[in-house]
Amino acid sequence: MVLETQNLTKQFNGKGGFKEVTLFVEKGKVFGFLGPNGAGKTTFVKTMVGFLHPTSGFAWILGKPIGTVESREKVGFLPENFRYHDWMTGKELLSFHAELYKIKNPGKKIDELLELVKLKGHENKLIKNYSKGMQQRIGIAIALLNDPEIVFLDEPTSALDPVGRIEVREIIKQLKSQCKTVFLNSHLLSEVEMVCDEVAIINHGRVIAQGKLDDLLKEHTHVEMVITDYTPELIEKISRLSKEFQFKENKLSFKVEDREKIPIIAKMVIEAGAKLYQLNTQTSSLEDLFINLIGKDEIS
Amino acid sequence: MITIIKYTFKEMLKKRAFLLASLLSLLYLSIYAFGLSRIFERPSDSIYDIIFQSEILSAGLFFANLIVAFLVVLTSVNAISGEIESGTIYSILSKPIKRYELVLGKFIGLSIMIVLYSSIMFLSVVGLNIWFGSKISFGWDNILKGLFFFDLGPIVFLALIIASSSIFSTINTGIIAIMAYGIALVGGVLEQIGTAIQQSQVSAFGLKSGESLINAGIITSLILPTDVIYRKMTAELLTQSSGISFMMTQGLFGGMSQPSIYMFIYIFFYVVFLLYYGVKRFSQRDL
Repeated sequence: MVLETQNLTKQFNGKGGFKEVTLFVEKGKVFGFLGPNGAGKTTFVKTMVGFLHPTSGFAWILGKPIGTVESREKVGFLPENFRYHDWMTGKELLSFHAELYKIKNPGKKIDELLELVKLKGHENKLIKNYSKGMQQRIGIAIALLNDPEIVFLDEPTSALDPVGRIEVREIIKQLKSQCKTVFLNSHLLSEVEMVCDEVAIINHGRVIAQGKLDDLLKEHTHVEMVITDYTPELIEKISRLSKEFQFKENKLSFKVEDREKIPIIAKMVIEAGAKLYQLNTQTSSLEDLFINLIGKDEIS
Repeated sequence: MITIIKYTFKEMLKKRAFLLASLLSLLYLSIYAFGLSRIFERPSDSIYDIIFQSEILSAGLFFANLIVAFLVVLTSVNAISGEIESGTIYSILSKPIKRYELVLGKFIGLSIMIVLYSSIMFLSVVGLNIWFGSKISFGWDNILKGLFFFDLGPIVFLALIIASSSIFSTINTGIIAIMAYGIALVGGVLEQIGTAIQQSQVSAFGLKSGESLINAGIITSLILPTDVIYRKMTAELLTQSSGISFMMTQGLFGGMSQPSIYMFIYIFFYVVFLLYYGVKRFSQRDL
């Protein structure tokens, strides 16, 4: 396990932050950490990287307790509100951070990263003359300097244009292909949906859903059926197998938690002697899932 | 920690505050040199002339010391707090370094720069006096001892600022630094006046008021011992075996009241404690 937390809590005078978060992130996965503004996402990442001291609970990165120097040795981090020493040039900044990582002869690595984040040719400019997008790019390069096993990216595309976002997505995919783990903190759901294997959704400091993205989305498959010649018993059976069941004028509308239930329901309809005219399925998008879960959490 | 020291030093050299302080220092030294050239124009052989020259030297060093303190505040008040407030700390402390390395690295990096700057100021003022023909005879050991204490004061002041910057915001650190320095300065003057009263008054009332002023000076020296170090510097520089040393250390800029060895033991622990406390509080802080 690359990252593991057990009932990890960080609160500020009993308020804010996050509560009793238990997470497991495996090697080589892209893990999306989602939540509305103020849900506790950044607080969680800051706690993992050692800026905040947990109130209670435990957490390990690569088997090392968080907050220790050892836990940060193979960690890359791009902060949300990235700011760098603007009196340095891009190259000086990367050399400074390479020295902090105690990397010997970082020249080649720096050149590779400048190429990767498309800043080649801008390396001798002062950081203060960089645009916000360029600063975010150099931040990504810094996060990858030490060839990390896990990279925490806190809103990595917040300052980037659409092309830049695609490039960052490609970098994340590249990291995944190298069996690196990426912990992506983002509220850009489409972005998360495109690159993440697993997600956790946090609201008011509590994780309200987590798991493989496909599984979470499958849990919310919407089905529409048009049938005739049915019996009340058949309708009763279908309603028991589904959620949010609605039935009106031969038209059934419901959600299933497992897609495997769809062929079972279809078989039941045929075997009961009813006529099946139409069967449409629609998997929820991450956005639907997110809105649904957050909405339910707010109500509860 | 070496990386932090190196980049702190580099950053200081690139800061506008350093350039500004350097230009002001150059301006100050030019004005001081011009003043010395006028003062030393006339022949001076009497004992009073030598005392007057020692006052000129003391005044030169006093204002040079003020400029160095000004530079210490300008360059180090945001040493740690500035990194937190700007957010640059997140890119540094996410690396495998301990928080104490940042605090001590900043302290050492700034100390090197301040010692260099302070030494240049001290040697320039003393050098100008020798150049223009001061009758005060300086021994190398006096100059080196004087230089040591001239550099020590800003380092002690820096320890206070670094500790404060590790705990409080830049604005609060600025207030603490200026207030503490001001209190130390005023306390030092009160102690000098107290000593002068004690030396000149024979009545019980005079002795008592002098003693009260000395005590006030001692208390302020405990808050920030920069003034006491400055007086020690004056004494070390101007104390010669010529038998007139006591007269050379008189006056507002001199050092009639000398700190004891216990004060220097206190100063050692003062610096160690401030750095330890700053590091401890910074390590416990949520960033």
